Amino acid sequence: MDPLEALVAQIQGLSSTSSDVNRLHSILKQADDSLRSESTRLFPLLTQLDPSIHSLGFLYILEASMIGPVTKTQAETAVPTVASFIGACSKEQIRLAPDKFLSVCKRLKDQVILLEAPIRGVAPLFTALRKLQVSSEHLTPLHSEFLLLCLLSKCYKTGLSVLDDDVFEVDHPRDLFLYCYYGGMICIGHKRFQKALDLLHNVVTAPMPTINAIAVEAYKKYILVSLIRNGQFSISLPKYSSSAAQRNLKNFCLPYVELANSYSTGKVAELEAYVKTNAEKFESDNNLGLVKQVVSSMYKRNIQRLTQTYLTLSLQDIASTVQLNSPKEAEMHVLQMIQDGEIYATINQKDGMVRFLEDPEQYKTCEMIEHIDSSIQRIMALSRKLTAMDEQISCDQLYLSKAGRERQRYDFDDFDVPQKFNI
Amino acid sequence: MDFSSVKAMLDSKSYEKVADVCDNLMLQVAADGIAYQDDWPYAIHLLAHIYVHDINSARFLWKSIPSSIKESQPEVTAVWKIGQKLWLRDYAGVHEEIRGFDWTQDLQGLVAAFSELYTKEMFQLLLSAYSTISIKDTALFLGMNEDDATNYVLQQGWTVDPASRMLIVKKQPVVTEQKLDHSKLQRLTEYVFHLEH
Repeated sequence: MDPLEALVAQIQGLSSTSSDVNRLHSILKQADDSLRSESTRLFPLLTQLDPSIHSLGFLYILEASMIGPVTKTQAETAVPTVASFIGACSKEQIRLAPDKFLSVCKRLKDQVILLEAPIRGVAPLFTALRKLQVSSEHLTPLHSEFLLLCLLSKCYKTGLSVLDDDVFEVDHPRDLFLYCYYGGMICIGHKRFQKALDLLHNVVTAPMPTINAIAVEAYKKYILVSLIRNGQFSISLPKYSSSAAQRNLKNFCLPYVELANSYSTGKVAELEAYVKTNAEKFESDNNLGLVKQVVSSMYKRNIQRLTQTYLTLSLQDIASTVQLNSPKEAEMHVLQMIQDGEIYATINQKDGMVRFLEDPEQYKTCEMIEHIDSSIQRIMALSRKLTAMDEQISCDQLYLSKAGRERQRYDFDDFDVPQKFNI
Repeated sequence: MDFSSVKAMLDSKSYEKVADVCDNLMLQVAADGIAYQDDWPYAIHLLAHIYVHDINSARFLWKSIPSSIKESQPEVTAVWKIGQKLWLRDYAGVHEEIRGFDWTQDLQGLVAAFSELYTKEMFQLLLSAYSTISIKDTALFLGMNEDDATNYVLQQGWTVDPASRMLIVKKQPVVTEQKLDHSKLQRLTEYVFHLEH
C-alpha cells in the first residue's frame, strides 16, 4: 500500500476521541518530512478527508502541500480550500499544531495578495484568529495579518472589531508592533484619533533593543496624530520607553519633529509654507493626507483657544484672529465644531456674534453614572492584573537572581540578600 | 448570490442594519471566491453607511469599487456625491444631491428615509448652534424653500423678527434621565469607602 494512502487511512481512523487524536499527532509528526518531500501529490488527497472531523490530519497535509512557490492559477484553487478548511476545522484539533495552522493562514494571506484580492482573506483570517486564541486577551500572530488584509481591502470597519479587545498576552514582540501599527492606521482611517494615539504610543514605548522600521513609521504617525488630537506634541518619550527609542527615534523623523515645532507657533501661514516645501517627503511616507489634517486641525485649535479667553466674540474677530478669509467661513468652522461637540457655543447671526458657553454636562445623568461606574470597574480589573503580574515576577527565578546580583554589586553593606540568590 | 437578507432589512425598514448585513455578506461571498463586483448593490451599500453616519466606511467602500462600475452605474456615483457633500460639510449640497437624481425603485425608500433623518438632524443642529439665524440660511440647511422652512420652525416655537428677516431660535429644554437607583449609589459609596480605608 502506498504510504500516503496508509496515512490517509490512519487519519480517517484516528480522528474521533482525544486520545486517538494525540496518537495521530505523533504519527503525523513523524510523517511530516516525508509529506513535505511528496508536496506536489498531496492536494488531491484532501478530497478524501472531512475538514471538520479530520482537522489535524487535513491541516498537516494541507500545510505540506503549500510549501512550494505558487502560480496564480494554483492559488485560485488553493484559496477556497484553505478558506473552507478554516471555517470548518475543529479548534481543539488545530490548537494541537498551532505552528502548522499559522503557516497555512500566512500562506492564505500571501496567496490572496498574489491574486490581488485581499478581501478574500478577511473573513477566513478573522475566523482563524478567533479559533486560535485562547481568550480575547490573547494576541495571536494572525492579528497583524488580519489587520493588514483589512487595510489592503479597505475593510477598515471590520478591522475595528478586534481592536476593542484589551491585549494582555503576546506570543512574539513583532506581533505586538505590527498589530499596534496597523491598528493605529485603521483607527486613523475612522478618525478615532485617541485610540490611534494609544496604539501608536504602545509601539514607540515598547521595549526594543534596537530601533526597528515599524517603530520609526509609527513614531511619524504618532507625532501627527498627537497634533491632531491634542494640539501639541512632547518630544520626550516617557521614562519607561527603551533607551534606543529615546535616543534615536526623533533623528529618523526630523521633518515631522520640525512640523510639530512649526505647529506650536500657532501660525497657520507658517505651517502651510512648511508643509508645502516638504510635501514630497510626507508624500513618499504616505503621510501627506494626515499632514493636511494636521493643518486644518490648527484652525480648530485656535478657535478653541479663543473660548478660554472670551465669553462673546464677533465672527469678524474670529476670522481675523485665526486667519480665515471671511466671517462666513468662521461661522462654518464654529458650526462644525459645535456639531462635533468640540466647543459649546451659540451663533447669533443677527449681530454676527458667537457666545461661548460652559460644558453643559453636570455629571448626574444615569448615563454618566453608568460610564463612570464601568470605568472604575475596568481600572479595578486592571489593577488586579498588575498586582498578579507583580507577584509573578517577584517569584521569578531569573529576575531574582539578576536583581539579587545587582543589589550586591551596588550595596556592599547589605547582607540581607539571601545566599541562594547568588547563582 | 443571495441578497434576501439585504432585501428583508430594506422591506422591514430596518435601515440602520443594512450596512452591517452588506458588509458581512460581502466578506462571505469574497471568501467563497465568487466574483461579486458586477452584481453587487453598491448604491444600497454606500447609502446604508451614510444612513448610519459612517462616512468613513462609505469613503473606503467607494475607493474599493472598480472604476468600470463607477462609470456604468450612475446611481452609485450619485449616492457617493451625497457622501462627498457630507464629508465637505456642504449642508445645503446634501439636499441638492438627494433631489438631483431620479432614484430607482430599490433605492427610493432608503433615500427618502435618509432625507427625512437628515432634515431632522439639521434642525437639531440649528437648534443647538444658533440663537438667531436668517430665513435664507435656515431654508438652505433644511433643504426647503423659505416659506416651508419658516413654517417648519414656527411650529417648533421659533419666532420671526420681521425687521431683520431673522428667526429667533427657541431652545427646547433637554430632558435626561436623572433618576438613580439605589444599587448604583450603593456601589459608588463602596468605591469611595474602599479608597479611603
